Amino acid sequence: MRHRIAPGELILALFFALLGGLWIVAAARMPVWQGFIPQSGFLPLWYGITLFALAAAILARLYFEKAPHKDEEPVGKAFVVLAALAASVVGLDLIGFAPSIFLLLLVLFAAVERLPIVRSFAVAAAVTAVLFLIFRTWLRVPLPVGPLGI
Amino acid sequence: MELLGQLAQGFVAALTPMNLLMCLLGVVLGQIIGVLPGIGPSAAIALLLPLTYGASPTAAIIMFAGIYYGAQYGGTLTSVLINVPGESSSVMTTLDGYQMALQGRGGVALGIAAIGSFIAGCLGTVGLMLLAPPLAKVALAFGPPEYCMLVLLGLTALAAVGGSVLKGLVTGVAGMLLGTIGIDPQVGAPRFDFGQLWLLDGIDFIILAVALFGVGEVLASCRMGAADPILNVGRVLPNREEWRQARMAILRGSGIGFLIGILPAAGATIASFVAYIAEKKLAQDPSRLGKGAIEGVAGPESANNAASAGAMVPMFALGVPGSNTTAVMLAALIMFGLRPGPDMFTTNAALVWAVIASMFIGNLILLLLNLPLAGLFARLLQIRYSWIYPPILAICLTGAVARANNVEDAWLMLAFGVLGWLMKRYDWSAAPMILGLVLGPIFENSLRQSLTLSHGSGAIFLARPISAVLFALAVIAVTAPLWSRIFRAKTV
Repeated sequence: MRHRIAPGELILALFFALLGGLWIVAAARMPVWQGFIPQSGFLPLWYGITLFALAAAILARLYFEKAPHKDEEPVGKAFVVLAALAASVVGLDLIGFAPSIFLLLLVLFAAVERLPIVRSFAVAAAVTAVLFLIFRTWLRVPLPVGPLGI
Repeated sequence: MELLGQLAQGFVAALTPMNLLMCLLGVVLGQIIGVLPGIGPSAAIALLLPLTYGASPTAAIIMFAGIYYGAQYGGTLTSVLINVPGESSSVMTTLDGYQMALQGRGGVALGIAAIGSFIAGCLGTVGLMLLAPPLAKVALAFGPPEYCMLVLLGLTALAAVGGSVLKGLVTGVAGMLLGTIGIDPQVGAPRFDFGQLWLLDGIDFIILAVALFGVGEVLASCRMGAADPILNVGRVLPNREEWRQARMAILRGSGIGFLIGILPAAGATIASFVAYIAEKKLAQDPSRLGKGAIEGVAGPESANNAASAGAMVPMFALGVPGSNTTAVMLAALIMFGLRPGPDMFTTNAALVWAVIASMFIGNLILLLLNLPLAGLFARLLQIRYSWIYPPILAICLTGAVARANNVEDAWLMLAFGVLGWLMKRYDWSAAPMILGLVLGPIFENSLRQSLTLSHGSGAIFLARPISAVLFALAVIAVTAPLWSRIFRAKTV
């Protein structure tokens, strides 16, 4: 049976090790202990050390206990959805909350999922309207506004 | 006898058409608030406060109490149906609730949550009625060392939440580490803001929750968009076997929730977390939890509802808020010219007993609303996923931006969403990370305050009886698997 380290597991373990390392470096520059009182850097330093050590333990386990190779699930569609979401975040400042949410929904329904265009348009408009009415009109939450004022 | 007489008078006041309407309005609004990410019951009450200027204080407080416990149930709906907790107290419900939904038992998950919430809400209200003054005195004995050990007890169980202990520890510590971002609450100095002004507020629970559970789940599942939906949402009422498994979890959750709810600042999140861990520790087969075990829904759901009744104990008896929401309610009481504190049960007995009676009524309304509606809500799972996930993303994005009208929060949500996706793909549990983020700042504050009090000596945690007991429980929780392994080896 073929054995190899799953790249995602490796990325996650490395990410958490780096996060721990970053906290160790940043916390070491802060006051850690003064007199008998722990200071701003005390617990973050210990969190960093603990996280780094635990992530290192995972990396060691990945190396020594290689799991049987499993076929990775395809990720193409997830990247498309992620790109649409990122574009929508960019759009929040450029075109405002409501148009940005509406376009996100319409693109996902009609272009990504290839659902019927008229129904996609109607559902996207309805969901946007409900969110806008609840958050902006009813709860008066200030949301990003674009050239259309919505 | 005197107590029953006062309760009867409370029911007379609570059953007036106006107060009944406010109670209904409160639980319905609470449920809606619980479903929406980015807006919690405390914010909702604060927003509604100006609208109650002209209303009677009793009616207003009845509505606010309804929002509070209604929101606890509202968070359950999204946890079970779309794996996104609407409130931090519903995080634990996602673990088994969503699995139950995927197995075609979404109706039962919502049904047992409604029944558990009703029983726990009523038991919590009885507790509030009987035990408010004596228990409030015990809660006052909780100083920083006791809080520190309470949180430590919770943290010892972080790893038990997920599948892999090591991965659970990594994500739990990572959550605690992220909780240090922002202004140091002890000295007011900024830390880990990396020169970004928007990070001074720290990372909010809701950003991490919608990212890891909402965006992460969608990215992991969107390829199934065209797949057949779950056709069988099942029944709403649990069968005999399910009820047998859930009934003790409901009672345990009610007790745990009420007792933790009483402690100022502990709240429903820690209550639901401890209740889940208790179920996992007490289960004959702990591996069932996290895979759709009904007690994994019943325990935490009962605990978070009972905690909202428990949080009213220090509010009414001492004038000390037990949670963010009761802090806003306390402000409302003061706004109405009332003085919360030990005199509240004598000088404003009519209001206190009307609110207590309304809590029984409100919990009954929640049950009557949710048992028939649970099946309806669960039928949402019958819609094709292609139609469901884009609105989930829209709600996540709205929730992230609505928190502080900050587009940077949306980018943060996106980044954590990618992390959540990877974690989902490789079976890294997300719940410890969120709990670490919530518990971390409480742990740090209480640890530093304790060490300041003791002039740097750790002996303070053993010198105080409650703190020593909590510490002993934490040690037992950590070493229990080891002891059970040794015991089993000796007996075999």
